[in-house]
Amino acid sequence: MSDYLLMAVSAIFVNNILLAQYLGNCPFVGVSKKMDTAAGMAGGVVFVLTLAGVITWTIDFFLLRHFDLVYLRTIVFILVIAALVQFVETFLKKMVPPLYKGLGIFLPLITTNCAIFGVCIINVRKDFNFMETLVFSVTSAIGFGLALVIMAGLRERMATARIPKIMEGTAVTMITAGFMALSFFGFLGMA
Amino acid sequence: MVDAFVFLLILGAIAAVILGFSAIVFYVYEDPKIAEVEECLPGANCGGCGYAGCSACAAAIVAGEASPGSCVAGGPGVVQAVAAVMGMEVEAAETKQAFLTCTGGIRAETKYNYSGIRDCRALSLLYRGDKKCEVACLGQGTCVRNCLFNALTMSENNLPLVDLELCTGCGTCENVCPTGAIKVRRDSEKIMHFNRLDDRLAPCQQTCPAQIDIPRYIDHIKHGRYEEAVLTIKERNPFLLSCGRVCPHPCEDACRRALADDPVSINQLKRFVADYEMNTGKHLPVSVAPDNGHKVAVIGGGPGGLSCAYFLRRLGYSVTIFEMQPKLGGMLYYGIPEYRLPKKILEWEIQGILDLGIEARVNIKFGLDFDLESLVAAGYKAVFMAIGAWKYKSAGMEKEEVGGVEGATIFLERQGLGIPNPVGKKVGVIGGGNTAMDCLRTSLRLGAEKVFLIYRRSKTEMPANPEEIEACQDEGVEAILLSAPGRIVEENGKLTQLEYIKMELGEPDESGRRRPIPIKGSETLLPLDNLILAIGQYSDLSFMETNRRVKDIEKTKWNSIAIDADTNQTAIPYVFAGGDAGYGGPGILVEAIGDARKAARSIHLFITGEDMNFPEGRLKPKEHIPGTIFDSISGIEKKGRIKLSQLDPKTRIHTMEEVDLTITEEEALKEANRCMNCCLTCYDKDIKEAS
Amino acid sequence: MSIVKEFTKGLWAEIPPFRFVLGLCPTLAVTKSVETGIGMGLMLTFVLVFSNILISLLRKIIPPSVRIACFIVVIATFVVIVELVSQAYAYPLYQKLGIFIPLIVVNCIVLGRAEAFASKNGVVASIADGLGMGIGYTISLTVLAAIRELFGAGTLYGIKIMGPSFEPFTFMVSAPGAFVCLGLILCTMNLFGKAKDM
Repeated sequence: MSDYLLMAVSAIFVNNILLAQYLGNCPFVGVSKKMDTAAGMAGGVVFVLTLAGVITWTIDFFLLRHFDLVYLRTIVFILVIAALVQFVETFLKKMVPPLYKGLGIFLPLITTNCAIFGVCIINVRKDFNFMETLVFSVTSAIGFGLALVIMAGLRERMATARIPKIMEGTAVTMITAGFMALSFFGFLGMA
Repeated sequence: MVDAFVFLLILGAIAAVILGFSAIVFYVYEDPKIAEVEECLPGANCGGCGYAGCSACAAAIVAGEASPGSCVAGGPGVVQAVAAVMGMEVEAAETKQAFLTCTGGIRAETKYNYSGIRDCRALSLLYRGDKKCEVACLGQGTCVRNCLFNALTMSENNLPLVDLELCTGCGTCENVCPTGAIKVRRDSEKIMHFNRLDDRLAPCQQTCPAQIDIPRYIDHIKHGRYEEAVLTIKERNPFLLSCGRVCPHPCEDACRRALADDPVSINQLKRFVADYEMNTGKHLPVSVAPDNGHKVAVIGGGPGGLSCAYFLRRLGYSVTIFEMQPKLGGMLYYGIPEYRLPKKILEWEIQGILDLGIEARVNIKFGLDFDLESLVAAGYKAVFMAIGAWKYKSAGMEKEEVGGVEGATIFLERQGLGIPNPVGKKVGVIGGGNTAMDCLRTSLRLGAEKVFLIYRRSKTEMPANPEEIEACQDEGVEAILLSAPGRIVEENGKLTQLEYIKMELGEPDESGRRRPIPIKGSETLLPLDNLILAIGQYSDLSFMETNRRVKDIEKTKWNSIAIDADTNQTAIPYVFAGGDAGYGGPGILVEAIGDARKAARSIHLFITGEDMNFPEGRLKPKEHIPGTIFDSISGIEKKGRIKLSQLDPKTRIHTMEEVDLTITEEEALKEANRCMNCCLTCYDKDIKEAS
Repeated sequence: MSIVKEFTKGLWAEIPPFRFVLGLCPTLAVTKSVETGIGMGLMLTFVLVFSNILISLLRKIIPPSVRIACFIVVIATFVVIVELVSQAYAYPLYQKLGIFIPLIVVNCIVLGRAEAFASKNGVVASIADGLGMGIGYTISLTVLAAIRELFGAGTLYGIKIMGPSFEPFTFMVSAPGAFVCLGLILCTMNLFGKAKDM
């Protein structure tokens, strides 16, 4: 149990997928302008990453390894993720329209989110078992969401700040992300 | 190699089957038009339309919730492409545009010196900004920096200037403005807006019953932008030619300049630009929202009915006006004499209103030719009753029915109809209002030699425009003031003399005027050929005496239609009333126009099923925003207002020619420059004080 | 003329990721050293050029409704090729880049060029576009990696540059250093005109 807890803390704080593993930076810059869109995106990522992590692990464990087709991982995983996102979008649109309105519009963005794909690959490369895969996927997604929401909060505040002309836009976002990463480094002591 | 191929094929097939099945099982019907519309949209996903991205906007357009012109980033090309997909023509789709409501800028007084982050939002966190006026533009330029289209610049007065060519109405500036000084509205939204306590309003605009943005149009005149001035007035008042001639201009009473010298001749400036428009020969186009498919009937083609039709038309309704007289214009046509408002000018003005696409049917009387049932059957969603006040009040004397005695409305109506209207040598008119003045001056022009004004109070209590009273004096009207009519003396069924009694003024009554008390034994006989009663009017509500639906409408004690003072709704939900026929009875032209806009707002909200009541914070009529009415002002050079030019009184009484002349451009500019461009508390000073 | 233009725009006017802020993850992750930076850049160039060619060839056959899925499959195929080749012939590099080789699949630059350019233009123009963008990306990564390696380890392409007294500024090779360094480069680019904001 404590192993899983440690893994969770590590994935959320110490090895935050965004700030320490460099995964998912495009949406981190793209949808962190407003708190509500950031929160929607974070929710969408938690949802999809959990599903994708578990499904790709299952496919990898029972099919790819079994048939000795590990070299097809990349292409199989991306196909599965793309199909999964498409399926979830269709499903939500019909069955849970309110959720679709909240999260659904971010789903197309999630297909090309390297955080999803990256975590799926990490899961199988590190030879996680099923439970570890589940915990790692969920907590990585939570870590992503946490960083994204914090960033959105910072950027909303920054909108009122007087930023030098040349630093406006992505530049100041990256530097802010750097300082955020630095503070997340502080969690190293916990692990 | 082969197994990889087979594996991928199987996987692809499974994915395809699952997706294919889910597409059928979880199928949500989506209009194919949505995809087509989305194709037309620019795909910027800017959110300016108020929807989550372009696809959501496309869905809203197809669902009919948004107009084809919703896209703010697209421009006219996109609008037309979308409209083509939707199969509709968009002629003058309404665009949203930003405008500044504050005129304070650097002249606004400050509470403290600020030298922090140059951002309005940051500044407003500190004691709600550095300006004493809490709703003022803070002038740090946050909107300018946030404008995505470079449509805003900072003026030298430290106020943002909107470049309307570049503004797309995306609403970013409004969102970032902490005080609400900059707003982004459609024209129809402006029509629906009524003065609020948190608006930035000069005293004149607070006072104007039609709530015209007076400082703005005067500012346009100052800079020679006459067309913009006309359009600013037309936002709130379609009768600028008529108002410019007959309005008693309550706004001028509130003018802050009067504290230093004389009030600005606001109405003369309105008349100047109105005449400017007329002299160009073309009606300046005003925006009309796309047709929304609802029909509204307006009963009565007077100023109230025409104004309501004008505003409803601009909101996108199909409006039909039903008028009992052969000509539209109501009391403007049949009450106000030619020498004050020439019929040609009035007809030109009304034509401009009808040209927006309003249908008018004349010679058709409510209760006789049609009624509410027939209107409902014809598909009208709401009815506005602006039936005016065509009945005259009796003076309470006996034998008022004898020859030679008649009501002012009847006398003036004959004039409007063009029927011969002979008067005797001596004409008396009872009353002190503008109608009385009209009867007096008309009688003179019809050949009366001696004309008497009989009024029971003194000149200062007369409700008529001071200009009118003065004109009467100039034209030789004899005023018998502080005198009440007592008895009609007749001979063979014809009036010969009027006995009146002298009065003195006592304590003020509820209207604030001193109550006249008769002086015993002061009865005097006045020989007269004609006596015109001009002491008040009320509505002809005889159509209510029926068993049909219209009987449900209630009457007030003043013989007007009972309406909700805020919404103008009568006891029948889909029937609204206003103008002279509404609640408080007859009023002035500009009140009828303001009332008509209020009714148009209610009708729009009624048809769309929204709450008609005003939200909290409305500035009620005749009220002022606290702190905006001053006792004195400083720093103003005394200049004095322009003199009005008129025809010579000696010759003009023999013709019906218009008496008051339009001021010249030079005079207009001079007068416009007297305007201090007031806002809530700040105003332009002529003399810069040493600080 | 226009071919040259398609090629050169990737080198300066729209150089990714400095002007065209896409594909940030590998930019940050693999620029600890010049070697990995260049390696990543070249792999991406390969994938970009070949996927551009194939997509440009297939652009009239691919049905629009499933185009994104098709693009991804095409890209993924070339990524697998790169993965296998590097595993066979450049194993140390393969190990250093780790999961960022398969992640080329979801690099927005590749998909972005496929969607925005290759699916609308001919083969030759697409090659020029892919080559220009790829080389531009390689240059960017190299510049960023050079700065980070020089200050973070005192070396350039593994060769010691700084004297023995140099204390490596390890912040530069850590994650925060990557963000700040990229941010500062973007600032510098802003001096020459505003980047396309996301």
